[in-house]
Amino acid sequence: MELNDGNLQTLTEFLRKTLDPDPAVRRPAEKFLESVEGNQNYPLLLLTLLEKSQDQVIRVCAAVTFKNYIKRNWRIVEDEPNKVSDPDRTAIKANIVNLMLSSPEQIQKQLSDAISIIGREDFPQKWPDLLTEMVTRFRSGDFHIINGVLRTAHSLFKRYRHEFKSNELWSEIKLVLDTFALPLTELFKATIELCQTHATDVNALKVLFSSLTLISKLFYSLNFQDLPEFFEDNMETWMTNFHGLLTLDNKLLQTDDEEEAGLLELLKSQICDNAALYAQKYDEEFQPYLPRFVTAIWNLLVSTGQEVKYDLLVSNAIQFLASVCERPHYKHLFEDQNTLTSICEKVIVPNMEFRSADEEAFEDNSEEYIRRDLEGSDIDTRRRAACDLVRGLCKFFEAPVTAIFSGYVNSMLSEYAKNPGGNWKHKDAAIYLVTSLASKAQTQKHGITQANELVNLNEFFVNHILSDLKSPNVNEFPVLKADAIKYVMIFRSQLPKEQLLQAVPLLISHLQAESTVEHTYAAHALERLFTMRGPNNSTLITAAEMAPFTEQLLNNLFKALALPGSAENEYIMKAIMRSFSLLQEAIVPYIPTLIGQLTHKLLLVSKNPSKPHFNHYLFESLCLSVRITCKANSATVSSFEEALFPVFTEILQNDVQEFLPYVFQVMSLLLEIHANSIPSSYMALFPHLLQPALWERTGNIPPLVRLLQAYLEKGSATIAGSAADKIPGLLGVFQKLIASKANDHQGFYLLNSIIEHMPPESIIQYRKQIFILLFQRLQSSKTTKFIKSFLVFVNLYCVKYGAIALQEIFDSIQPKMFGMVLEKIIIPEVQKVSGAVEKKICAVGITKVLTECPAMMDTEYTKLWTPLLQALIGLFELPEDDSIPDDEHFIDIEDTPGYQTAFSQLAFAGKKEHDPIGDAVGNPKILLAQSLHKLSTACPGRVPSMLSTSLNAEALQYLQGYLQAATVQLV
Amino acid sequence: MPTKNVVDERISKFKNKGKDPVKLREKRITECVELRKASKNENFMKRRNITLSSLPDEDALSPDSNDTVTPLSIEDIIKDVNSDSKESQTRGCQAARKLLSQERNPPLKEIVDAGLLSRFVSFLCMDDEPTLQFEAAWALTNIASGTSWHTQQVVEHGAVPAFISLLASPMLHISEQAVWALGNIAGDGPAYRDVLIECNVIPALLARICPDTPVGYLRNLTWTLSNLCRNKNPCPPLSAVLQVLPSLIQLLHLGDKDILSDACWAISYLSDGDNDRIDVVVKTGIVPRLVELMSHKELSVMTPALRSIGNIVSGSDLQTQAAVDAGVLNVLPQLMRHSKPSVQKEAAWALSNIAAGPCKQIQQLITCGLLPPLVEQLRNGDFKTQREAVWAVTNFTSGGTVEQVVTLVQSGALEAIINLLQVKDAKVILVILDAINNIFMAAEKLGETEKLSLLVEELGGLDRIEMLQNHDNDMVYQAAHSLIEKYFGDGEIEGIKVDTTEDAFLFKSPDVQRTFEF
Repeated sequence: MELNDGNLQTLTEFLRKTLDPDPAVRRPAEKFLESVEGNQNYPLLLLTLLEKSQDQVIRVCAAVTFKNYIKRNWRIVEDEPNKVSDPDRTAIKANIVNLMLSSPEQIQKQLSDAISIIGREDFPQKWPDLLTEMVTRFRSGDFHIINGVLRTAHSLFKRYRHEFKSNELWSEIKLVLDTFALPLTELFKATIELCQTHATDVNALKVLFSSLTLISKLFYSLNFQDLPEFFEDNMETWMTNFHGLLTLDNKLLQTDDEEEAGLLELLKSQICDNAALYAQKYDEEFQPYLPRFVTAIWNLLVSTGQEVKYDLLVSNAIQFLASVCERPHYKHLFEDQNTLTSICEKVIVPNMEFRSADEEAFEDNSEEYIRRDLEGSDIDTRRRAACDLVRGLCKFFEAPVTAIFSGYVNSMLSEYAKNPGGNWKHKDAAIYLVTSLASKAQTQKHGITQANELVNLNEFFVNHILSDLKSPNVNEFPVLKADAIKYVMIFRSQLPKEQLLQAVPLLISHLQAESTVEHTYAAHALERLFTMRGPNNSTLITAAEMAPFTEQLLNNLFKALALPGSAENEYIMKAIMRSFSLLQEAIVPYIPTLIGQLTHKLLLVSKNPSKPHFNHYLFESLCLSVRITCKANSATVSSFEEALFPVFTEILQNDVQEFLPYVFQVMSLLLEIHANSIPSSYMALFPHLLQPALWERTGNIPPLVRLLQAYLEKGSATIAGSAADKIPGLLGVFQKLIASKANDHQGFYLLNSIIEHMPPESIIQYRKQIFILLFQRLQSSKTTKFIKSFLVFVNLYCVKYGAIALQEIFDSIQPKMFGMVLEKIIIPEVQKVSGAVEKKICAVGITKVLTECPAMMDTEYTKLWTPLLQALIGLFELPEDDSIPDDEHFIDIEDTPGYQTAFSQLAFAGKKEHDPIGDAVGNPKILLAQSLHKLSTACPGRVPSMLSTSLNAEALQYLQGYLQAATVQLV
Repeated sequence: MPTKNVVDERISKFKNKGKDPVKLREKRITECVELRKASKNENFMKRRNITLSSLPDEDALSPDSNDTVTPLSIEDIIKDVNSDSKESQTRGCQAARKLLSQERNPPLKEIVDAGLLSRFVSFLCMDDEPTLQFEAAWALTNIASGTSWHTQQVVEHGAVPAFISLLASPMLHISEQAVWALGNIAGDGPAYRDVLIECNVIPALLARICPDTPVGYLRNLTWTLSNLCRNKNPCPPLSAVLQVLPSLIQLLHLGDKDILSDACWAISYLSDGDNDRIDVVVKTGIVPRLVELMSHKELSVMTPALRSIGNIVSGSDLQTQAAVDAGVLNVLPQLMRHSKPSVQKEAAWALSNIAAGPCKQIQQLITCGLLPPLVEQLRNGDFKTQREAVWAVTNFTSGGTVEQVVTLVQSGALEAIINLLQVKDAKVILVILDAINNIFMAAEKLGETEKLSLLVEELGGLDRIEMLQNHDNDMVYQAAHSLIEKYFGDGEIEGIKVDTTEDAFLFKSPDVQRTFEF
């Protein structure tokens, strides 16, 4: 590709087409560009266009395309061709810095990104002059250029903040420090001086302050890994200036914007980070400066307003104080009573106040509000930072801090009492203060688990919380109501049961509040109360205690789902699920009504599933309805099928992918309730379940396998009869699963059900093929998981069809195959089988091989008899061998990307573990003893002699024990 | 029955999981790139302007030293040194020496460039002119104390054999001057150190140690010996080490703090290597004395003694046991609480290596009361100490028994490391996550994972680990993510209503589930 006008023209046209809104124009152009990007000069053509094109749009487009090209192609991957020719690489590196610096900002940003991508690969070895080139620009005096350099440096150096220490990394940092640290320091000083000379020129100040912010960021990156000698020597310069900037205010730089942080805030915020870095990692060297920073940051906090734009700065600044006040050697900076009082009064209390921004979120953006307030995504908020500072101070000063705040709480509460309508925010702050003061440890499952003993939580509940809960107008002061509900919820483990019981009906009535936050909190609080454990591992609140409120509870929960903004409220849905689960048979009378509402909801959300948690709890609730009702009367299963199948059919027909795993689980649950027959409605669906498309999605596999297992259990006769032509398809599923290291165990679940339930004559023709497939897999990829499943299957087969059949089918595939499998697989690996049922199957199967297989007594297999017996005794007596060969340590994870998350398991659709042997064999050890006895009477003398020659003493001792327990003797 | 083998094999799998236990011992990697200032406690590699103990009265040497006459210019010096008159030569040498001794910017290069070095070296051999000999030696010593380039000039002018011969000088101050010069040359690095050793410097030095050698002389000699033991890549030849060790041991039993300090530094250099090198030191039987010196009231003695023991416990289990038997665990608690952060750090480093040992040693560590100071350091220590302390916890949790891990958690270590999850150091965070994972594995054996999950959450750990899922470092992200997946997965969906769901999900028994994850 030549660098000529023709090519520039062509490229311009294609670039323009990539901006076309019509995909029919856009896509081919994108395809074309990708097809030619491997040509030499392609990147240079782009650089030419972004520099020289007359069309501004094309220039930007070329810049973006160039950046993406670099992102995709610059890295040289081992064993793959170099995707950018060497001359192009050299030319790009020679020109890009200049180009970046002389370009307008939009293009500069793209090129700066490109430089950092190239730098990540080539810097410093393959781009030795980059740094000096950049440093030279510091002297240009043009701050647009300087900021370009600083921005690029920032994107090159910021990885020092998260990479592990290594000689390679530190050599690079050292090199950077050697060339960069001094010029950066000079630039820092010069910039600060310029700020003074231009103190009245707002435009100049803006540019200079963005430089200072970038310089401060570079300082952070360069000082992150360790304290460099240069910066230790120049700490005075840096820290004095940082301190000065922290205390500086310039009216010209104040912004009117309430939301967006201004330049001053960004700079100060970064300086707080820098100080925090030094305080944490280089305490010894930083100690002389620290008190000054504490004072400056504290003054900063006292003088900073409530606007949202200051949030990051304020929370960083408070976090700095919080981290310092916990250190024993800085204790003295805080311990003075006046200091403590002033921190509490001027820093903590103001930042706990409910601001208008919070009020807006409470009303208009309840989801965000709940996420922050309830789920702890409030990391960067002022309230959270203030809370952390309270906890930090309590480490050394719990009593004085509690005393100071008690005073505040009381005065705020009396302010509120004077004029609740006007001063409700005072009460909100008081509650928040009590909460942060009282909570020392907290979990989602139990709420607050450790509380400050100096705070009387129960008294506060009775005097200040209960009144809000009891207030007849649930829609008055919704914020205070939400606070009160939250108080019950988080202190649930601290409050006595009678208080909780008193709160339950009040919470139920709050489910009807108009405020989304309020009724959501009520649902959540109820849900949490219902999961609390009482004595004997039962629930703290019993179904009997709930009896007077059951109807009201169910009514209000479902009514809450109809409130505006809560149609798919996951907290309410979860509370429904939890209520069903708590109330059990008490819900049966209401189910006919409720199931209609649930299926209606399901139909609605299946149009456009958007709230995964809501949907999950919805299906859980459906499962609970089915289980609880059918437990009382299994005949009702058909009425559920009538209600649910139309919706399910729609979901299946529309292929609503998110819901299929759930639908399969609910269907399994329903089908498993049936006695030993399968309704025709299920059989009609059977062929569809075998469709390959369904099995391509990993999330479908576990529930589909379970569903097919239910089909086999209930309908094997039907399948063998009217659907015999589907058997190969069914086995095809098995084959598909067995081919995957991740899903082979699912294939075995299916195969085991086939062996267990299908009439033998219906599968006789496929048996040999099944084994051949298994052997192939064994040969090509023998993983521990596969072997474990294989062992269980082989033994189940033996139990079902007999040891002779097993031996014959093996040997018919290949002579001596049976012996080889015994020797190479069963004997050495059976120790790895896990699970009680699995072990039992293996024990019974091996017993049969030992005692019911003539070939084991009369052929060359005889030599395997004692080792097999010894392995069986090992299975009974030794700890399970869970070792895994090194090379397959990570197989399952690698082969199943996102598997666990893709399969949405329903807890309440659970199925009981299936034991194909069941009561037929009570104790496999006794069975072994009896079977050996039988064998020994059939061929007297042989068994004892085999035992005495080669069974080891310990095993023999165990065996004697079994024989004694079975009261038999070997002859 | 192969019970024992199976169990052993499993333990080794457990320990091997993810990392080689040998690597848990952190060796000091001296050749690594440093960003910091050279450590302030370390010995100086080269010394200029020390005082000779055996220096006769200054006036006797330099009658004009108190004169107010202006010092000679470099031109005058060149003229004098190059003259044939012994008197002028002596005057020139002395003037050069004085110029080179000035505190600020001594004109080392100017003197070298003036081509005076070959003259100085030739003066060294003039046994008849002790004053000239001495002044030349002094001047050369000062030049050798400069940068590598300066030292190189001195060596390349043939000063090494001349200085070694001077060691035998009957004039004590001249011999001592040679000791000093050789120390500076040895301190330059492994190459010149080995040149000196090749020239048999060691026997010549050791020959000067006798019962009536003045203490001051011994101090300088010990320092020179320590420089001959110093530096890696390569280490000093084993034969030289074996030659020098008996005398070092002897010196370590003297009472002078400077001698003790340099002798300890020498031992610390010799023990800073692979296990074979450590073995040579341990075999001398000096370990108990080193442990004793760890309690020495002088920081300059205690620091290198601690460093030496730290090196020794970074060796094999057996070598570590030698230090443990000598009582190192009784001394460490007070050092962990020492007022100087650098001492705390070294002590914590030693502790982290002992914690990497077998559970028997871990038990001794618990018995000797090391857990309380460890937790104190995790909570309030200087960052560098916290880092070592975190390693100690991780090593402890990967090699300790379940009971030992429980003791550790009860001592407050879990809470402390969770607090440290906010440090600004990706590696430390990863090491902590590793420790938390190890603690969970212990809890799994006790069937108490759920309890531990709650504890970690109560301590604020869940929040922090969740936040780490946003960490820019991929390995940190992975480790945090896998902890959350394994131990904090949506626990509440499973844990509902025992009677109906407890065994329900045995659809896949827990064991099958486990293999599923690996």
